[in-house]
Amino acid sequence: MGVPSLNGRKKIEAENNYHDSPHKNNPIYLFGQAALGVACDHLFAGGVHTMHRSLRFFVLLVGLFWIVGSYATDASQAVLTTEDSLGPLVEQPFEFPHNRHANDMQIDCMYCHTYARRSAVAGIPPLQKCIGCHQSIDSVRETPRIKKLFEYWEGSEDGRIAARTPIPWKKVHDLPDFVRFNHERHIKRFIEQQNRPTQEACGYCHGDVKEMTVARRNKPLSMGWCASCHEKDHPVSGEGGVAVGNQAYWYSFQKPVVEAADGAVKAKGPNDCWQCHK
Amino acid sequence: MSVTNLLENWAQFRHFHPVEDNPHDPYKWAMSIDLDACTGCNACSVACYAENNLPVVGKEKFAHGQVMHWMRIERYWDEDGREFPDQGAQFLPMMCQQCEAAPCETVCPVAATNHTPDGLNSQIYNRCIGSRYCSANCPFKVRYFNWYDYPTTDNVWPAEMTQQLNPDVTVRGKGVMEKCTFCVQRISAAKVTAKGEGRTVREGEVQTACQQACPTNAISFGNLIDPEAKVHKQWKAQQVELDKEEQAKDKEEGGSDLRGYRIFEELRPYPSVMYLERVRESAI
Amino acid sequence: MIDSSFDRRDFLKVLGWSGAAVALGGCGNTSIEDGRETVVSYSEPADYVIPGIGVYYNSTCAQCDAGCSINGRVREGRVLKLEGNPDSTINRGKMCGLGQAGVQHHYNPDRLREPLLRKGDQGEPITWDKAYALIAEKMKGVSGEEIAFLSGGISGHLKALMGNYLDSFGCKNHFAYEAVAPGVMRAANKKSYGVAMPRFSINKAKVVLSFGADFLGSWVSPVHFSQQYAQFRKGVDGQRGVLIQVESKMTLTGANADRWLAIRPGTEGILALGIINALGTATGEIAAVVKDYDRARVSRETGITPGQIDKIAALLKLRSPSLVLAGSAAEGYAHGSQNAAAINLLNHVLGNIGKTVEACEAVPFPQMIPTTGNTAALKSLNDGLVAGKYKVLFCYGANPVFTAPGALKFKENMAKAGFKVAFAHYLDETALQADLVLPLDSALEDWGTQVPEYLATCAQINVQQPLMEKLHANTRGMGDILLDLLKQRRADEYKGYEDYYAYLRTALLNNKNALGGGKFDDDTFWNETLTQGLIKLEGPVSAVSFRANAVGLKLPAPAEENAQYPLHLIPGVTASLRDGRHANQPWLQESPDPLTTIVWDSWVEIHPKKAAELHIAEGDIIEITSKTGSIRAQAYLFPGIHPDAISVPLGRGHEAMGRYAKGYGVNPFQIMDAVYDRDSGELAMHETRVRISKTGQRVIVVKDEGAAGGLQMGRKIAVRVSTDEVDLSEEA
Repeated sequence: MGVPSLNGRKKIEAENNYHDSPHKNNPIYLFGQAALGVACDHLFAGGVHTMHRSLRFFVLLVGLFWIVGSYATDASQAVLTTEDSLGPLVEQPFEFPHNRHANDMQIDCMYCHTYARRSAVAGIPPLQKCIGCHQSIDSVRETPRIKKLFEYWEGSEDGRIAARTPIPWKKVHDLPDFVRFNHERHIKRFIEQQNRPTQEACGYCHGDVKEMTVARRNKPLSMGWCASCHEKDHPVSGEGGVAVGNQAYWYSFQKPVVEAADGAVKAKGPNDCWQCHK
Repeated sequence: MSVTNLLENWAQFRHFHPVEDNPHDPYKWAMSIDLDACTGCNACSVACYAENNLPVVGKEKFAHGQVMHWMRIERYWDEDGREFPDQGAQFLPMMCQQCEAAPCETVCPVAATNHTPDGLNSQIYNRCIGSRYCSANCPFKVRYFNWYDYPTTDNVWPAEMTQQLNPDVTVRGKGVMEKCTFCVQRISAAKVTAKGEGRTVREGEVQTACQQACPTNAISFGNLIDPEAKVHKQWKAQQVELDKEEQAKDKEEGGSDLRGYRIFEELRPYPSVMYLERVRESAI
Repeated sequence: MIDSSFDRRDFLKVLGWSGAAVALGGCGNTSIEDGRETVVSYSEPADYVIPGIGVYYNSTCAQCDAGCSINGRVREGRVLKLEGNPDSTINRGKMCGLGQAGVQHHYNPDRLREPLLRKGDQGEPITWDKAYALIAEKMKGVSGEEIAFLSGGISGHLKALMGNYLDSFGCKNHFAYEAVAPGVMRAANKKSYGVAMPRFSINKAKVVLSFGADFLGSWVSPVHFSQQYAQFRKGVDGQRGVLIQVESKMTLTGANADRWLAIRPGTEGILALGIINALGTATGEIAAVVKDYDRARVSRETGITPGQIDKIAALLKLRSPSLVLAGSAAEGYAHGSQNAAAINLLNHVLGNIGKTVEACEAVPFPQMIPTTGNTAALKSLNDGLVAGKYKVLFCYGANPVFTAPGALKFKENMAKAGFKVAFAHYLDETALQADLVLPLDSALEDWGTQVPEYLATCAQINVQQPLMEKLHANTRGMGDILLDLLKQRRADEYKGYEDYYAYLRTALLNNKNALGGGKFDDDTFWNETLTQGLIKLEGPVSAVSFRANAVGLKLPAPAEENAQYPLHLIPGVTASLRDGRHANQPWLQESPDPLTTIVWDSWVEIHPKKAAELHIAEGDIIEITSKTGSIRAQAYLFPGIHPDAISVPLGRGHEAMGRYAKGYGVNPFQIMDAVYDRDSGELAMHETRVRISKTGQRVIVVKDEGAAGGLQMGRKIAVRVSTDEVDLSEEA
């Protein structure tokens, strides 16, 4: 292909132990290199005419920016706010029916996912939580899924699962390492400060879980999607249009704006990059 | 940070703080380092490695200047031609000064480094494309570039050592710039706790890793606008103001008999770190 | 119109590639990261376990013997970072870099995971049961005199168990060995003050005159002394303390001194007597002893100017109390005890006893008090090995094959022992020579109690508890191993203890009242103790008073010129590396030496004047030859050293102990001569004389300081001011 060696340095053979493994193959990067290579070839291939050179150069530059641009946009995508941006069906050790628990029984999300209001992560309920109720629910004790549950608690008959083994649930919602989402802050804001019902608040991001059996990602969870909520003007005021809370409440929101007419206060959510990208 | 937003509000973004229409409120994180108390022991530097997932680069890369120590201790000798350094050495802990008018912020082609409302210079790893212009512009040379993909380099984080990594701090890959963050993960954690209780962060609730380790308490860190904060009291006592490139006390006849100063103040980056001059006894 | 070789086809090609790049760039929304598909899932977590929020446990740092208390941050069952425990009177919440690296000791990829039995040149994994059976077999029919147990400094319940094990054989051959230890000072203190380690109150002194005691770096209890130093600088009565450091090679403490004096190697005692003379306050016996040490003579012999001696004496007289310390620089000679005695005499003359040299409390459990390590023990062991005395040799917490002076030929002598067992974390040089190697739990996985040699304000027993589950299934704690071995010998006494944890718990609960837990029930007391991480006690106070016989002081004349070996070799002890046991912790290898800023390698410090004489430039590989052997290291021009001396740091030059230690630097222990302090029998570390020569090779020194080499070039970077130009009274 005639790709010039852009990494021109010879790989330094170390006397020490710090060797570079081959860079993880990123197809975009490779193609970008290839494109640049092709462009370079053409640029240097010949042609005396200045106009050609500047045109080639222009194309090269465009190509450069395109690649760089694609690199930069790799992580964050265009905003997709359609409701049917579903995640893959994740297979779990056994099918936990959210609809049975959240809809039929109307169990609050945070009864099981307790850590949501205390920590950055919402957490999966420990085995103890399931058994806590199910040890006394005789009516479903012999159903297949509950039998599976108790295999983790008591150990399976064939000995493959030891007693008290935590269930290896698979992740459904994941964010990249450089994104830090804090459940506690959102629970505090929506549920405690704005008194919204738990299932509704959790549903903003996790979708209508009470209609699901196994959880499935319902929202894109992309930065654009998160920012679309933060960029909204939230009318946040108490009775009579009085702004709620003190400086601590407002801090990290963008500047609250008081609508003179009815005294309603609106503010946009935090847009400080470092809040989420530490 | 859309392009429209950037263009319309450029002046506001470039404003150095504090100014009336954009004051620091309620936090401005700052530090003061007492060079007379600093013994040069490097405890702060190692603590920073532990807290912030800094890679150990090995001898060869170190020789190329590719070391990653966000907090480094510089050692200076006297330059008056003595036979022995009979007044000891000068140690200087140097890390990102979180400048209010940071020269690095203006030159990033993709705005990966910005100023946060609480006065920190932020570095967004996933946005950084590795142009390294910021590092070229930094007068303190406290920005460090990931020349290699350290997570996949042999012997940087071999099997069990990955378990030591701090989950609150991103592990940086190749091509990304990094620098001291004033332990923003700790600041965020303290803010979350404080917000949960409906108040602001109090003095002493958040300590940076370097400050926590320093055996002589040479490093003071806190909220510059909180009158209870040690840092606030120190800056005030030393008559050093954040938004001046030359302090009033330095304009006096014969200079000042106070110890506080900022490095490269005259270049106008308005650093958030104040140093207290090292003292040597005149009677001996 | 474009007409050339660049045509539409080429144009599209370029666009095509870029387009492909963009298309590929636009991939999917956030998906699950490869390899991270499972969630953190618990079975029956304790109430305080919240994913995402750390749990903090207190324990004790084991990176050196200062006994600082640590507080470990544990997330999802793994310890991430260590902080200081604010309750400890020793470190009060602070940590040094060495302590921070404790996590790298724990997570080190080169840790031993299985017991190993020697088969020729290799070590074959065997089971613990087989290992114990083998030990029992080898001990059969062996008398107590034929057994030797080499350890580092040891204290607490581990010391009790070890003592009981040896006692079960009637063995009295416990050798407590530390390569870097203030052995001479301990002996001299015992003679001068009645206690080996009194309390040095740096924070109460107005002037500290230190003869090479690196109390900010690696001497005795550096974190504690650093905190005291901070108070010392703020000053008693608001007057800033003054530090004067006298040594032949600049240590970290020396770099922080108001006045650093390069003294001719070995003449520290002479200077101390000279200062007593200059003070003019001594009477009787003491006056008689110092009569001949007038300024002129002292100046001639030490190299310190008479004016400087006068200034020091004047300052000491004016600002009282002061504190005079004798460090390794003073101790490291054949007359080290004499040096230390002279320095202690100076303390007495200045009236510091009872003011800054004070009585200390001891832990009221004598069997827990530390058996401190020193180098005389190594010599005794070596003599025994040479004589072929030992059929069984145990080695724990010591690496003598690396740290023994080359002149002792320890490696060869060790081979003369019949059966050698090493208890080790890593396959270090000594473990490689052993017949059986037993892998230990790291300090962060193990139980224990520890009593430090230097106690700060009150007696304290440090508690060590695991900060997480064992990393490797087949390692064991030393306490557990000793218990298992004891069950072989004294089954009845020890069979009731399931493990070391049970033993410790029982032992502490049995003494609940004495430990201050009288009002608690057993479980509460135990939980409280573990939560605190330490137990503070009141203990008997040993009186400190000056009692040395000054007339007995006999300082030799300064060392003569030696044509064959003209220079003194001063082994440098750095805070990070010490005697080399932590050289396999990469943070410490990459942490620049504070004085030279060199990393990952050894160096030889030469004064620029001397270097100019010998035409040595920075980076020249120098061969350093003593009577015992020779090593090579890169030259570093260093103004903080006496021209008659050179210095090579200890701690590097490993030939084993893992990927981060092996092959980096050179080991000056190898060329150390076997010279001993006449009075205490301690190894005189500074008595090795060497000659140097250029090899013709040259390297670029890998260091942190830039090309300017530690110069500010007229810029206002690290500013210094004199006390008469600054007003310290208004500071916050």
